[in-house]
Amino acid sequence: MKVTTSSDVNKGFTYGLHQSLTIAIGYAPVAVTFGLLATQFGLTFWEAGLMSFFVFAGASQFIAIEMIHQGATVWMIGLTTFIVNVRHVLMSLSVVPFFPERTLPWSLALAQGLTDETFVLNARILKDVVGEENRRWVMLGINLGSFTSWFVFTMIGGLIGKWLPLEFSGFQFALLALFIILTATSLTKKNALTYVLAAMLAVALKLLIPGKIYLILSVALAAGIGAWWRQRQRDTGIESKHTDYRA
Amino acid sequence: MNIHLLQTVILMTLVTYGARVLPFLLFKGNNVQGYIRDFIELVPIALLAALVIPELVTESGSIVIIHNPFLWAGLLTFLFTKYVPNLFLGILFGMTAFWGLDKLLG
Repeated sequence: MKVTTSSDVNKGFTYGLHQSLTIAIGYAPVAVTFGLLATQFGLTFWEAGLMSFFVFAGASQFIAIEMIHQGATVWMIGLTTFIVNVRHVLMSLSVVPFFPERTLPWSLALAQGLTDETFVLNARILKDVVGEENRRWVMLGINLGSFTSWFVFTMIGGLIGKWLPLEFSGFQFALLALFIILTATSLTKKNALTYVLAAMLAVALKLLIPGKIYLILSVALAAGIGAWWRQRQRDTGIESKHTDYRA
Repeated sequence: MNIHLLQTVILMTLVTYGARVLPFLLFKGNNVQGYIRDFIELVPIALLAALVIPELVTESGSIVIIHNPFLWAGLLTFLFTKYVPNLFLGILFGMTAFWGLDKLLG
């Protein structure tokens, strides 16, 4: 337990909750979209809410409803979710040094709300908070505020979808549009090679192998070759420190 | 509650929460580096390609270019996002573009 100095008395749970507002506002339209699409793709609004409550990982939830819609097996969806969310290991590793004295309940609680967005905000804010006890409460506030927004707005979107069953062919393109937008915002010169490789492999393997196995094969191969290429460039001296955690 | 969906949510929760909590339980603060880090960082962009591109270019087992509303709606959505970087507007635009192209080319 650290001694609290007067300047950081206020930096606790409510401070974190207040900081989470930007994320909460950003999550709202995405969560409403998720709830709405989930109900259009055959889930009840309770099921949509349940998924947001327990999984709390945007991109993988959108992918899951698309795969459920296409009739993928539970294991296939689980494996894809793992592939999408294994990056959380990196974020978790980066925030762990803020809590050297953490207890088991705190570890379990702080890990629950770690997303791309809360990670970025926590990493920025926690370094200015003095004392591990304060940092724990600030992170809990940030995570809980964001989580609450994600869950509540999923339910609202689900209710809208339930009450307004829309007949509109555009809905079958909604998830692809979402993924394309994510692509446009995360494609850089440094990952373009992996992107092109994965795209070509996925198309070829989809035509060759029945089922959804092409997804995992092409991702593993492309990321494997992309990482090998980065290592090679690093070895030849074209080093870069830039890190991009976004999906 | 659909049992298939319940199983899906449980498995998704296990793998997602597992990725979040393991470093909290196992590490004192050291970080992964090198090949594994590069690999994990490249997974999201590779997955986006694998999810999107086959859906845009292959229809019922073969590559379709001209009479393919998915492909053209996809390209338009990509261009739209470059000028209007807003998730909600982008999805709205994509759906409308697809709906229009589907009527036009279908």
